Amino acid sequence: MADKDDGSLIGYDPLAWLQASQDELASDSAIAAEEPVIDVVVEEDSLPEAPLLEAIEDIQLDTDESVFDCAHESEDKTVVVLDSVLNIQNVSQLHQRLLGLLNDNSVIDIDASAVSMIDTASLQLLLVLKQTAGSLQKNVTIDFPSDRFMEAAELLGVTELLGVDQPASGFF
Amino acid sequence: MTARIIAVINQKGGVGKTTTTVNLSHALARAGKKVTVIDFDPQSHLTVSLGVVTVQKNGIDQVLLGAGNLDEKLIPVRKNLNLIAAGARLQEIEQLTETKVSGSDLLRKSLDNHLMDQDFILIDCPPSSGVLVANALFAVDEILVPMTSDYLALQGLSHLMGTIKKFEKALKKQYRISLVISRYVSTRRISVDVLETLKKYFPGQILATVIKETALLAECPSFGKTIFEYRPGCRSARDFTSLGKDFLDGRVM
Repeated sequence: MADKDDGSLIGYDPLAWLQASQDELASDSAIAAEEPVIDVVVEEDSLPEAPLLEAIEDIQLDTDESVFDCAHESEDKTVVVLDSVLNIQNVSQLHQRLLGLLNDNSVIDIDASAVSMIDTASLQLLLVLKQTAGSLQKNVTIDFPSDRFMEAAELLGVTELLGVDQPASGFF
Repeated sequence: MTARIIAVINQKGGVGKTTTTVNLSHALARAGKKVTVIDFDPQSHLTVSLGVVTVQKNGIDQVLLGAGNLDEKLIPVRKNLNLIAAGARLQEIEQLTETKVSGSDLLRKSLDNHLMDQDFILIDCPPSSGVLVANALFAVDEILVPMTSDYLALQGLSHLMGTIKKFEKALKKQYRISLVISRYVSTRRISVDVLETLKKYFPGQILATVIKETALLAECPSFGKTIFEYRPGCRSARDFTSLGKDFLDGRVM
């Protein structure tokens, strides 16, 4: 708990993180405006006239990384949005990607809101991911699980292991 | 015409959510705006505060459960002001775990193409962090946070902002967030310090009028009256009239 400062009765400031968060956003916007973060080469006149962020999303849809999008990355935390269909066909690609993220981050938030189909192999992968993260003192959270995700997880009896067993799981 | 849909949210209890919703909505209605308030709290405090004291079997609970739509549940309570009561089963929805009912976009879907002639729809949310508040956050683009001026309210706000930012990232949207200072006790130094802290982190987002803590505001719900009916012309009534103008005109501190 911080000491009182300048006679203020607010000792520890619980909102201080808001300022840091706003500074980080401002910094990210400045960097994004200066330098597009994309790996593919695009002809200038083929870019749509949409704002830079929308243009990046359009381009990313054509890349190999179609299983999910990275919504936000910071130094040791990342948010991953799972794609709609997760099955044996793309599970090894998902595995490679999640492995890389686990190596680079200590916190991974997985957004499962868009999942419309998920098979046993993919659920097992997420389960192993959580267990591995735990053994490495890292944190993996599955947020906003879709109805289909929940149905599949309940069928396999792994809701508790995946941490999605609360009704507002991941919301609060 | 698309209504402004506002969720009145703070998971901390006793900060003045219902008092703010009741009296602000009546202030807007008295200003000629068409307003609907949704009692989204299983405790039904908003419903009681507006004088509807019998247990309502038909409310937002039935709409979320798929029985009927919002237009059918309207209860006219004042001129230009309608109420949709909580209903007896809203608590069940908060606690249900079945996948089919735990969807977080039930409220958003129920608002689609309904209440089209309203200027404002205010949703009085429960003091909790669960499915109901998640539904409200999915449904709205605008949030009103009543805040008391004590230290623990800052702690609660910090938690709430964390949640809101998570939703903003997931839903790829930016909420319009306004704060209203309620139950303000100007004689306490902590009140002044808390207010200054809020101004620092929420510049241009705190509505200009501060609602002071008064006994009258605490009394009027027991008679099912708004402050304008309970003690017209009193300081609190003038404050809420002013708050209504702040809300309409975007007047901030």
